[in-house]
This record gives sequence, structure tokens and C-alpha cells, in this order.
Amino acid sequence: MRVGSLSLGRDGWAGFVVLIFSSILFLLTIGLPEMPLVPVGPGFYPRIVLGFTALMGLWLVLADYRRKRLTNPLEKVPAPGLHGLVRRFRDVVIHFSMFAVYIAAMSPLGFRISTLVYVAASSCLLDPPRSPKAWVRVAVLAVLAAFLTFFVFERYLAVLLPRGRWTSF
Amino acid sequence: MFELLGNGIATLMDLKYLVPLVVGTLIGVIGGALPGITITMTIIVVLPFTFGLEPLQGLAAMIGVYVGGETGGLITSCLLGIPGKPSSVATMFDGFPMSRRGEPGRAVWLGVYASLIGGLLGAIVLVASTGPLARLALEFGPWEYFSLFILALSMVAGLVESSMVKGLIAGGLGLVVTVLGNDPVMGKERLSLGISTLEGGIPFLPVLIGTFAFAQIMSDIEKLGADQQLQTEAAKSVNLAVNHLKVLWEILSRPFVLLWASFIGLVVGVLPAIGGSAANMLAYDQAKKFSKHPEQFGKGAPEGIIASEASNNANVAGSLVTIMAFGIPGDAVTAVMLGALTIHGIQSGPLFVSQNGPLAYGMFAAYILAHPVVLIILAVLMRWMIRIVTVPKSVLFPMVLVLCVIGAYALGNTMSSVWILLVFGVFGYVMVKLGFPLAPFILGVILGDQIEINLIRALMTDPDPMQFLLRPISGALLLASVLSVAAAIWQHVRQKRRGVQDAEAADVDF
Repeated sequence: MRVGSLSLGRDGWAGFVVLIFSSILFLLTIGLPEMPLVPVGPGFYPRIVLGFTALMGLWLVLADYRRKRLTNPLEKVPAPGLHGLVRRFRDVVIHFSMFAVYIAAMSPLGFRISTLVYVAASSCLLDPPRSPKAWVRVAVLAVLAAFLTFFVFERYLAVLLPRGRWTSF
Repeated sequence: MFELLGNGIATLMDLKYLVPLVVGTLIGVIGGALPGITITMTIIVVLPFTFGLEPLQGLAAMIGVYVGGETGGLITSCLLGIPGKPSSVATMFDGFPMSRRGEPGRAVWLGVYASLIGGLLGAIVLVASTGPLARLALEFGPWEYFSLFILALSMVAGLVESSMVKGLIAGGLGLVVTVLGNDPVMGKERLSLGISTLEGGIPFLPVLIGTFAFAQIMSDIEKLGADQQLQTEAAKSVNLAVNHLKVLWEILSRPFVLLWASFIGLVVGVLPAIGGSAANMLAYDQAKKFSKHPEQFGKGAPEGIIASEASNNANVAGSLVTIMAFGIPGDAVTAVMLGALTIHGIQSGPLFVSQNGPLAYGMFAAYILAHPVVLIILAVLMRWMIRIVTVPKSVLFPMVLVLCVIGAYALGNTMSSVWILLVFGVFGYVMVKLGFPLAPFILGVILGDQIEINLIRALMTDPDPMQFLLRPISGALLLASVLSVAAAIWQHVRQKRRGVQDAEAADVDF
């Protein structure tokens, strides 16, 4: 990706994000109140840390920019393109999204129902069942994950798992 | 000391403690052997089960996982040529060639016995040195603690092979996580960004669980096709019968390799957050350098297996020394143990051994007993291990993530910890994809509060910042931090001059 005449690679963009994030938080520390009784307030240490990460972010940007300048354009690794990125990360995005839906569903549906559905869906996605035996395996796994873990944790380990707001289950 | 240790062993022999130890060790052996499942992930899975247990029961299970995992990893390294975990990579270099030339039993049992002996040698140092080191640490004031934590962070960041700047950024971001939400000294709210979940600060266990579990699982999901191909090969049955006395003699007749590798493992373990993988490679490299037949390394040399396995089990003892004497996690596994201690209201650090004698010696005993337990488990289960480790990822991954959810939720019976788990799961995965190391980040998250508390305490006692340099121990520790960063820079410059390009340097535009 090019910004004007500035060409940055993966590291450069990562450094840029760190620099911006640290700078914003650093500015927010300026508004923190100082303590009258102690020489340092709640903003003292965050400023040191955020100043350090901002500096390191800047270093990464500059190092990347310098490396880009010194690299022969013919040696550059071509960008994978949107299609390549989608193909590479599609499964990961789907699994993260499924996990987000799972934990969002836990409050209204409860641990057991949401886990049952999540484990079955996730397992099917990772290895689509192609025979009745495979479907049975998915079902057994989902039931074990949802009900056996619930039973063991609640009954023997005193860990109370969420009940559903809508289902009371 | 021996009396306390004897009491510890007697306590651990009680079924109440022995069962968690054996179960933990069994889970560790399986988790360590499963390619793609690290010991950290295994211990994360075990963590929620420990919430309802007594502290010693939970810690015995975790120590069992740790010791079992270190040994279990060698099985797939030797038999399949796939390291079960990063600290078994060097074992594969000679274990797999030995297996392929028709000696799989010899390869595996050389590793198992070397692990046992290396681990028990580590136990001697663990028991003998933790108390004296803790007493030394008691002499530390806030200046020394601050400098010690800085040394730990700089060492970890500096040891990152790909980019030291990225290591330092990762460590710094870990510290940033701890400044969000709550000031640990004054208890004032700060930088909560209007998010109510952040007001009390971010609990470190969901961060740790999310970062490691998702980084690992999602990276595996990305390349699942290739892994399944490897697993099909594993279905072959192998004959692991071997003359055990002959194998033991083969190890004991190489005392230098055994002792030197164990020593390396211990030292690397004591150094914070470096971990078994570095110990494993370093010991292997040393064994090769000292060998009369270095050309045989990589072709099934027994010294290669002995060195790498003795070192990674001794490394566990080193990590336990650091956490028990100083309260600093030696690696991610001990970081989870630290979390488990905190959940049970136990403060780790130099006072841990003196204030929690029975628990501390119980932990020593668990560490010692876990080794014969591993031996028994493997003697019984070895013939089935190869089938156990071919459990499909479609079964394993959803189960692991469900247990991660339970672990995060049970910390405070609140869904906010589970959301933190997801947020840092995404963050950890992105970090790995961008080539940022996770170890400095996690160490930053764990040590952040302590660094701040000790810095502020030191400045409140004496506002002169020069005290950090003028106090001998503090000054020496800070000097060591500077030297470790300088050494890392020197190494990177030297590598560049040699024209060594690592894989991550192949950057792309996007």
C-alpha cells in the first residue's frame, strides 16, 4: 500500500498503528489529575510506557521505510491481493465470528444450548461430516462438551456456568 | 529442609493429591504429544478444573501437566517427525532418523529416560536453591525489584530472533495493557476510555488464555489441510519394544552430555520467559559441539536425543525456581500457575516459601513424583499413544475453546472476562501474523503492575531516580538489562553482515 510517496510494508504499518495508538493514549494521560501528597500521579508511569512504545513504533516505521528504500524493486514480494487474503484468512475470520456469536448467545441462551450449537457447528466446519457415523460423532462431541462439562464443573468443581436469560437453562 | 520435603512427599502420596497429580501428568503427556497443542494450551485447559480444588491439588495437577508435557512431546518428535511442542524440536533431529532406521523404541525410551534423569537432576537444584534465592530476594527493595523486572523484560525482548524492536514493542504493549483502567498504587481510575469493563483494569488470565490459545488454534486452522495429511501417516503401528537396561546404560555412559544439558536447561529455565525451546536447541547445539562425532548428529545420534530431552525437563525445574523464589514466571506455563496461585489468594514472591512451607514443599514433591508417574504412564500407554495423538483437530479445537471460555468465565463469574478473552484472542493472532512475539507481551502483562508499584514505591521513598543506578544490586541488574539489549543488537548486526535473512524479513506490501 502506498500513502502519497511513502511506501510501507507490513512492519511499517504495524509500527504506525502502535505509534498512533500510543500517542493518543499518551495525550489522554495529560488530563489525569496529579496527586497532592505524592510526587508522582496516576499518569506518571503510563507516560513512560506509552512514550516508549510510541518511540519503538516510530523506530519500526523508519526501519521499514529505510529497508524499502534499499530493497531493489524487482526483489519485492508481490502483495497477495484481496482475493489471496480472503482465501487465506477466510476460515480464521469465520471461526472468530462463530466464537463471537457463541459468547454473545451465552447470556440469552445459557452455556449448555450455546455450547451445544457452537461445538457442533465448529466441528462441522473444521471437518465436514460425510457419513452418518461422522454426524453421530459430531453430535456426541457437542453433547459431551455442553452437558458433561456443565455437570463436572457445577457438580464437582463449584464453578457456576451461565444460565440463559431467555431459556433459564 | 529434608524433613519438609519428606512431609511434602508423604502428603502427595495421599490419594487426594496423588489423583490430581496423576491425571494432570496424563493430560500433560497427551497434550505434549499432540502436534499443535502446546503445554501452555494444555495447562490453560486444565486451569478451570483447578478452581474448585485445594491450592496444592490444583498445583500438583499443573506441575503434572508441565512435567508430563515436556516428556510427551518427544513421542511425536521421534515417531512422526512432528514436534509435539516447540521444546521437542531438537529431539526430532535425531529421534526421527533413529526411528526411521528401525529403532523407534530406542529413540523414544532414550528420550524418556533422559527426561527422567534431567528432571530429577533439576529437582535437586530446585529444592536446594529456591529457599536461599528467596532469602536473597528478601533483601531486595523496590529499586531492586523494579530493575529485576526490567531485566526480565529486556532479556525476553532481546532474545527475539526476528526483530528486537518488535520484541520491545510486544513487551511495551504488555505494559500498556496494565496501565488501562486502574492505577494499582492509588486505586484511581485512568485511561478506561469510557468502557465500563476496563474500569477495574484488565485481568491477566483471560489475556493470557486468549492470546496463546487463539494464536495457536487459529494459526493451525489456517494450515489445517497440511496437518491432516501428516496425521494420516501417524496411523501406522510401530513396535516400541526395547531392552530398558541397555537404553539406561546408553544414557548413563554419557554423563557429561547428561549433566551439561541438564545444567543448560536449568539456567535457561531460571532466566525469565525464555522457555524450553531455547534450552532444547542450546543443549543440542552444545552436545554437537562437544561430540567426537558431530557428523552423526541429525542421523540418529543418541547424544542429540539425550541432550535435548534432559535439558527441557531440567528447564521445568529452573522455571519453578524463578516463580517460587522471585514470583516471576519463567515461562507462559508458570504464568498460568501464578494466576492459579492468585485465584487461591496466595501471594507468590520471596515470602512464598517461608509463609507457605507445606504448599511450597508440596510443589517440590509434586515435581519429583511427576517424573516416575510419567514413566509409569508411558510404560502402560506407549503402545496406544500413537493412536491417541491422532485425535482429529475438529474434535480438539472446539473443546479447547469451550474450556478456555469456562476458564475465563469462572475467574469472576462474569461474561466480560470472556469478551476480554476474545479481544485478546484476535489481538494475539494478529500479533503472530505480523511477526510480533507473544512471550514479551505476556511477560509485560504479568509484570506491568509490579513494575509500576515498585517504581512508585521507590520514588516515594527517595525521589532521587539515581538510586536505581547507585544501589549495587539494582545498578547491576540495570547494567545487565543494557548489556542484554546491546548483545541482542550486536547479534542482529552480525547476522545482517553475514547476510542471514530470516523468513519474516520477506515483507509484503498491503
